[in-house]
Amino acid sequence: MYLRGVSFTYAGGALPALRGVDLVVRRGEMVVVMGASRAGKSTLVKVLNRTIPSFQPGSLQGEIWLLGQRCEQETVADFAGRIGLVAQDFEAQLFSTSVECEVAFALEQFGVSPPEMRQRVHAALRSVGLEGFEERDPATLSGGEKQRLAIAAMLALEPELLVLDEPTTDLDPLGKEEVLAVLAGLRREGRTLVVVEHETIAAEMADRVVFLAEGRVLADMPAQAALRSPEWFRCCAVRPPDLAVLAHGLGWAEPVRSVEQAAARVRERLMPVQKDDRAAGQQQGEASGHDVLLVAEKLSLRYEAHAPPALANVSLTIRTGEFLALLGHNGSGKTTLAKCLNGLLRPSDGEVRWKGVPILSIPLAERAVAVGYVFQNPDHQIFADRVWDEVAFGPRNLGLSEQAVAERVRQALGAVGLLERCDDDPFWLTKGERQRLAVASLLALEPQVLILDEPTTGLDYNEQRQTMELICRLHRQGMTVIMITHTAWLVAEYAERVVLLHRGELLFDGPTHELFARDDLMNAARFRVPDIVRLGQRCGVRVRSVEELVRMVGRRSEDR
Amino acid sequence: MRELIAMWRNTRMVVFTALTASLYAAILIPFKVLPIIPGVTELRPANAIPVVCSFLFGPAAAWGAAIGNVIGDFFGGFGPGDLFGFVGNFLYGFLPYRTWELLTQRRPVLRGPMDWLLFTAVVGLASGACALVIGWGLNVLGFVPFRVLGNIVWINNMLASMLLAPFLLAVVYPRAERGGLTYGQVLGRRETGRVGLAYVGLGLVVGAVGVGMWLGNGLSSGSVRVPWVGEGVAGGTGAWAVGLGLAPVLVVLLLGMVLL
Amino acid sequence: MKLSIYVVANTPLHRLHPVVKVVGIFCFFVAAFTAGSPIQSLPLAAVVGALLWLGGALANVWRFRWFLALVFFMTFLVWSLFFHSEAPWFAWGPVRLGYDGVRFALATACRLTTFFAVGLLFLSTTRVEEFADALGMIGVPAKLGFVMTLAFRLVPAFVDAALSVVQAQRCRGFDFDRGNWLERVRHYLPVIVPVFIGALRRADLMAMALEARGFQLPGPRTSYRTYAWGWGDAIALVGSVMLAGTWLLWARFAGGN
Repeated sequence: MYLRGVSFTYAGGALPALRGVDLVVRRGEMVVVMGASRAGKSTLVKVLNRTIPSFQPGSLQGEIWLLGQRCEQETVADFAGRIGLVAQDFEAQLFSTSVECEVAFALEQFGVSPPEMRQRVHAALRSVGLEGFEERDPATLSGGEKQRLAIAAMLALEPELLVLDEPTTDLDPLGKEEVLAVLAGLRREGRTLVVVEHETIAAEMADRVVFLAEGRVLADMPAQAALRSPEWFRCCAVRPPDLAVLAHGLGWAEPVRSVEQAAARVRERLMPVQKDDRAAGQQQGEASGHDVLLVAEKLSLRYEAHAPPALANVSLTIRTGEFLALLGHNGSGKTTLAKCLNGLLRPSDGEVRWKGVPILSIPLAERAVAVGYVFQNPDHQIFADRVWDEVAFGPRNLGLSEQAVAERVRQALGAVGLLERCDDDPFWLTKGERQRLAVASLLALEPQVLILDEPTTGLDYNEQRQTMELICRLHRQGMTVIMITHTAWLVAEYAERVVLLHRGELLFDGPTHELFARDDLMNAARFRVPDIVRLGQRCGVRVRSVEELVRMVGRRSEDR
Repeated sequence: MRELIAMWRNTRMVVFTALTASLYAAILIPFKVLPIIPGVTELRPANAIPVVCSFLFGPAAAWGAAIGNVIGDFFGGFGPGDLFGFVGNFLYGFLPYRTWELLTQRRPVLRGPMDWLLFTAVVGLASGACALVIGWGLNVLGFVPFRVLGNIVWINNMLASMLLAPFLLAVVYPRAERGGLTYGQVLGRRETGRVGLAYVGLGLVVGAVGVGMWLGNGLSSGSVRVPWVGEGVAGGTGAWAVGLGLAPVLVVLLLGMVLL
Repeated sequence: MKLSIYVVANTPLHRLHPVVKVVGIFCFFVAAFTAGSPIQSLPLAAVVGALLWLGGALANVWRFRWFLALVFFMTFLVWSLFFHSEAPWFAWGPVRLGYDGVRFALATACRLTTFFAVGLLFLSTTRVEEFADALGMIGVPAKLGFVMTLAFRLVPAFVDAALSVVQAQRCRGFDFDRGNWLERVRHYLPVIVPVFIGALRRADLMAMALEARGFQLPGPRTSYRTYAWGWGDAIALVGSVMLAGTWLLWARFAGGN
């Protein structure tokens, strides 16, 4: 399969989404495509499976050869069964009410005989590790399982080329791991794969990595070379591997393969350091002198009578000015806990008190001003057709005068950097901008506590950084922040205090570095400590980010 | 009429049908706010959905509304109303876009008083057609009198649509249009050869709905008699009176729909 | 939130051929419809109750107890008031309260409640795919059945989204219960818009995913689900036809409406 000089401009779009892209994929190869939001990744994928031009109006130029065939007018349907596509949004790719019917669906369309169909359904389910799930309703599966099912549905057709567009973006770490393991398996089977990904682990499996920026191919290189050059990842808004950044930052010529190896080298450089210096990395998170804002006392909650509890006997105290991370996998109860904290859910047992008053007895409008809650999916709240009106919705509900509303909207939009977009239609903003809009619409209520539910999901690395800097700025201005997340590096770099939930139980509540030192807990909850934190632990220093360690080492070297 | 069959060859239209059906059903379920006659009808904001979808998705909304009504009942309340509900909701999803495009070139984003007037008329007609079919069917089965159900369905559909649909359309239609997701864009240019017949069809539908609602109420309460229904069957539930009395009107309604 | 009524089980009722289920339920509807008095409705209700027990679906009856009770009382009320009684005890405008009206109201309330119980039985033991397959075997176009299945699958996702939107808007101080009922209908706008927009965002991807899996291919289709006819099917078929016949005859000769 190859593309030569392919350009595409969406109908009504001002700038081309792809500009002169050349790309070759050989049979049996795995190519990973990386790039920032709007770099043209999705457009490239659409070109590869003929969604462009058959579904998307626009102007397409260049030469496209797919499966040894020069493409002119072919549609998606013409390559059905030969080019498989798995997209990020797994919900939109599942059509049936049982797992086996889902996989069989495509085979039915092709008129495959029932005995062969059965055989291929089982083979496909085996490839993605979903044997034994045949009768399950896809609605009851986890995100990772749904995505694997979507892959199986494509595999059953035995496509010659499989294109995966950010298959792990919407998944929690466990789901990501599952899907990546499936990819590794497909790689071993020798299938031809094109994968758009933000995870560097995917690059580790690949033959080649292609970096896209502004619709152009920035670089196309063997995966091993790519992994040694973090600057390419940065250009494409992908979080580079910790060790590669470290090696680069410290000017090491030869690559490091493991944390242990890196630790040995760092230790040499850190040797002449006084003991007391080592704890400099982090201040104590416990701000005991501050006022108590929220108290949760022995919360328990069951959604259904016979289901395991979503929350079991969880107690928590939150004080002014804290930055707290709620960590846990999907289904661990972190969202349930957060919703109890602002009175959206009524616990079956226990009580939440806001400054000593039961939160459920506080009127709705006052509750909104006390504890703001930014939902994970910004699209679940955006309904206005102007950015300004969207933000004004909350203050208007409070019954403020139009003048006061305008003042608040201006401030909130200014804080998230969307003020000059106030007349735009939110529908056409990027996911990152919509996320910031959602934050602004809560900020306009001026809450004392802000709960953010996975504010960085679906964003590229640069957008994640931007969002986190915004949150940190609010925190410095005195906002109490509770952030639900399952991204370990975010916790390492930003949170002072972590609460770890697992199957509805509170496993840990304390300073972040203490949690990361507890291998037993991290393993029980199946979390991976970021490499750089592990490295720090090996060397006896407390670091939150690679930059910090590089600075530390650099300073020591100068001292010497 | 022809596009109602032709649309099944277009995958996007099939998806629109499923989306209409599931949105209709999904918003029915959590918001069965005020049961008017439990199991038969309730005041439901969801009834604005078929109208909105009709303007967006055209023929797909007709099928979608019909199926969505059945699917909604699949989550509780599968019963006698579903057969007539299928036909009634089909009309409810079909008539708005079809009448609108026959009468005007404008986009269904209401700007001036003329737009509102036309919109009210179109919605009133579609609601009436839906009410006529469902009211007639359930009265024939002897479950609910026409003058109760027919009027409730009519008023309910009217209210939900007038209170929600114009505002929903104002927000949703321009976006769908920019994304190339309206039925006009998806199906491309359609033949306009039989427009004359379509106006005849529209006339028949308007006549049938107007006469039907008046006659249905009259027959159901016993205040009106029609020559083709005998004396003896007029009492009791009114099942025979309404059933036979309205039958010719329904035939005219369906004929009109075919011509549209 | 559990929405689906289907009971995951492997009872003799679940195992029936889908066409038998559809024909059977039709026969039960006919029987329920012809029952002209409570005396005729009650034995039928007992049969349906027994089948609900056999299908492991009694929990659903409990789940819908208020619904069934409401159906009963509202039907009774409506017909008591609006039946054209020959000799009313009381008449005021369109309302004519009389003996035959009340008698008919009671019969219809029983009839309608039985009707819904039959519907519940069907939904508890039949997957939506089976229903679609059965319609297909009867001659309904396959795409209609497919849309039905797909819509059914999407409903829980949209319901979840809608509930989530309700919570998100409450967080912004939006009080759904404020104002009179007309205003309350308008309150659904901030809920319906995000759900609708979410659906629109997905439409293209879904169409593309369908075509990538060969939807719209011209060739013949096969079916993964195969259904075998068994003795149970024959018994169920004969049983339900006889049941419908019995009630038809009973209503004809014992009088009803």
